[in-house]
Amino acid sequence: MLLRVLDGVRTMTLPDGKRLPEINEFVERWRRWQTTRLNWQQLARLALPSLLVSGLFLYAIWPWIPGTRGPKVRTVVLYGFSIIGEMMNDAVFPAFQAEWEARTGEHVEFISAFSGSGTITNQMILGVPAEVAILSLELDALRLVDAGVLPAPTWRDLPHGGVLNRTPFIILVRPGNPQGIQDFADLTRPGVGVVHPDPLTSGGAQWALLAEYHSVRMLGGSDAGAFAQLRGVWQNVVAQAASARAVRTQFESGFGDALITYEQEVLSDRWRGRLRGEIVYPQSTIFSEHIVVVLDRNIAPEQRDLVEAFVTFLWSETAQRIYVDYGFRSVDEALNAANPDFGVIPYPFTVDELGGWEQAKPQIVDGIWHDQVLPALGMGGTP
Amino acid sequence: MNPNSKPRATVLPPLLLILTLLPLLLMPLGAIFVFAGHAGLPGLFQTLSQPDAQFALRFSLLTAFGAALVNGILGTFAAYVLSKYRFRGRETLNIVVNLPVAIPTVVVGTSLLLLWGPIGLLGQFLDPLGIQPMFAPAGVLLAHLFVTFPYMLGAVKPVLDELETTYEEAAYTIGASRWQTFRYVILPALRGGLFSGLLLTFAHSLGEFGATVMVSGNLRLRTQTAPLYIFAQFEAGNIETANAVAAVLALTSFVIFMLLQRVTQQRNRRAS
Repeated sequence: MLLRVLDGVRTMTLPDGKRLPEINEFVERWRRWQTTRLNWQQLARLALPSLLVSGLFLYAIWPWIPGTRGPKVRTVVLYGFSIIGEMMNDAVFPAFQAEWEARTGEHVEFISAFSGSGTITNQMILGVPAEVAILSLELDALRLVDAGVLPAPTWRDLPHGGVLNRTPFIILVRPGNPQGIQDFADLTRPGVGVVHPDPLTSGGAQWALLAEYHSVRMLGGSDAGAFAQLRGVWQNVVAQAASARAVRTQFESGFGDALITYEQEVLSDRWRGRLRGEIVYPQSTIFSEHIVVVLDRNIAPEQRDLVEAFVTFLWSETAQRIYVDYGFRSVDEALNAANPDFGVIPYPFTVDELGGWEQAKPQIVDGIWHDQVLPALGMGGTP
Repeated sequence: MNPNSKPRATVLPPLLLILTLLPLLLMPLGAIFVFAGHAGLPGLFQTLSQPDAQFALRFSLLTAFGAALVNGILGTFAAYVLSKYRFRGRETLNIVVNLPVAIPTVVVGTSLLLLWGPIGLLGQFLDPLGIQPMFAPAGVLLAHLFVTFPYMLGAVKPVLDELETTYEEAAYTIGASRWQTFRYVILPALRGGLFSGLLLTFAHSLGEFGATVMVSGNLRLRTQTAPLYIFAQFEAGNIETANAVAAVLALTSFVIFMLLQRVTQQRNRRAS
């Protein structure tokens, strides 16, 4: 309003043809002030968003601002298969950190990733900077050799041939065991629904296949009897999933009567109070063996002492006791007595019994299960 | 605004909308917060203050800032060229730059790995030089740039297409250079588009999962973004931890879009 009046005044011309210079100047100034005031208003309006954004940015960048960070810490990069994640993070890493700090005064940080054994193997083939890896079966380690990530099966030079710990394959049944399942043989009965991980993608499934087949021979049966049991179990497979964990979810959501899985997983669920089912211990079953792999090509020379100390620590009594606490069976048989929840398996075996994975995979998984059992059940045809 | 098309004060349509969205959108969102809050507020803070959760959130935010900055400039440039220049292959290029929306993000990750990874097409030559973009923060940024590229473009290009060429021509006739025209004529008109493009890019980068999981190596305290952290915690069965971080992401996105709405509304009010 005022501006309009002033505008009128400004455009007024004096009788002598001159404009009012003072007023003119005033209007100009006033205008300028108005526009700057407008800018201030604008700024005030933008203040909250800009504050928020810069606050967010400051928060994000904080640890990287020089001076806010402590001295550089040494790190170990570890990849592991999924079910050991919690145990490593909560118990094994802290125990090693304490020991290393007591010995050298240095603080060590663990950079770790946990996923399916096959997945982390593929990641290592593609070049992730893993220094140490823990795989759920030796087959994956052998793949690393094939891909040139490892020059040779170097894990066999480690303590216990690279085997860190074990866990048997057991049968999980519905509460109260309504089907009266006592052993693998009962899974071949008509009317029993078995939920099974897919051997094409799951490491756990490969262990399960060996258990279903070889347990018969361990109990004095023939090859034909072993074949009949494997075939019988697979005749009853009602659902399959890609991983041991996924198939677990299927079972929990109501599929089937029985699930063949790791003892450790079931025990850890029981301790968390979320187990809905019962463990059935077979007379004879396989112990899965988890393999430690050291990737020399990813270890810088100045890292070697630390990585070697950590790998040695993995087989120390402290570490092996932790595995037992978390439901894995130690490679040191004497320590396993410490966990009263471990069931008794009269005739256990390992993959060594079958000539190692190098033979078990082509002979049993490929030669018998894939080439004979699947076609016999009309499920063949997959390449 | 046409005075006849004023919003009517009705209850029924909004109510219907909310009822429809309840199972689709609102309840799942609510579930995040319910599960995050299971352990109570102190528990929530304790979960969030763990070093790997803190790292994941910070790393995600930084990547999102980086993606927004680079794609903000690159996307605007692409939109400008595609909108204002006529050249052979423009139509094709226009389609290609929008493809990242349609390609599964896992495929994006794989293709980046096969290109830049240590055994990839280019990576195998870079690896001996000690340059390894994959499984490092640089790889995560590359993946996010790829995946979020179309958002900036999509926000800016329609505005540029609509912009009357007469303004530009007028600017040229009074002797403005191409840059000056861009700076003083086009850029001010683009402000809304730029702003929403930046926020969309930022928000999308914050939630990116598929490509990141392939190229990052998923290392905690080094390359694990917040969505990867959430997934890892779910896998390990730590549902509360996963949901606590998910709640922070959801809240951040909410604030971002609130800002977007606030600023665009103010502009409209001033314009009318």
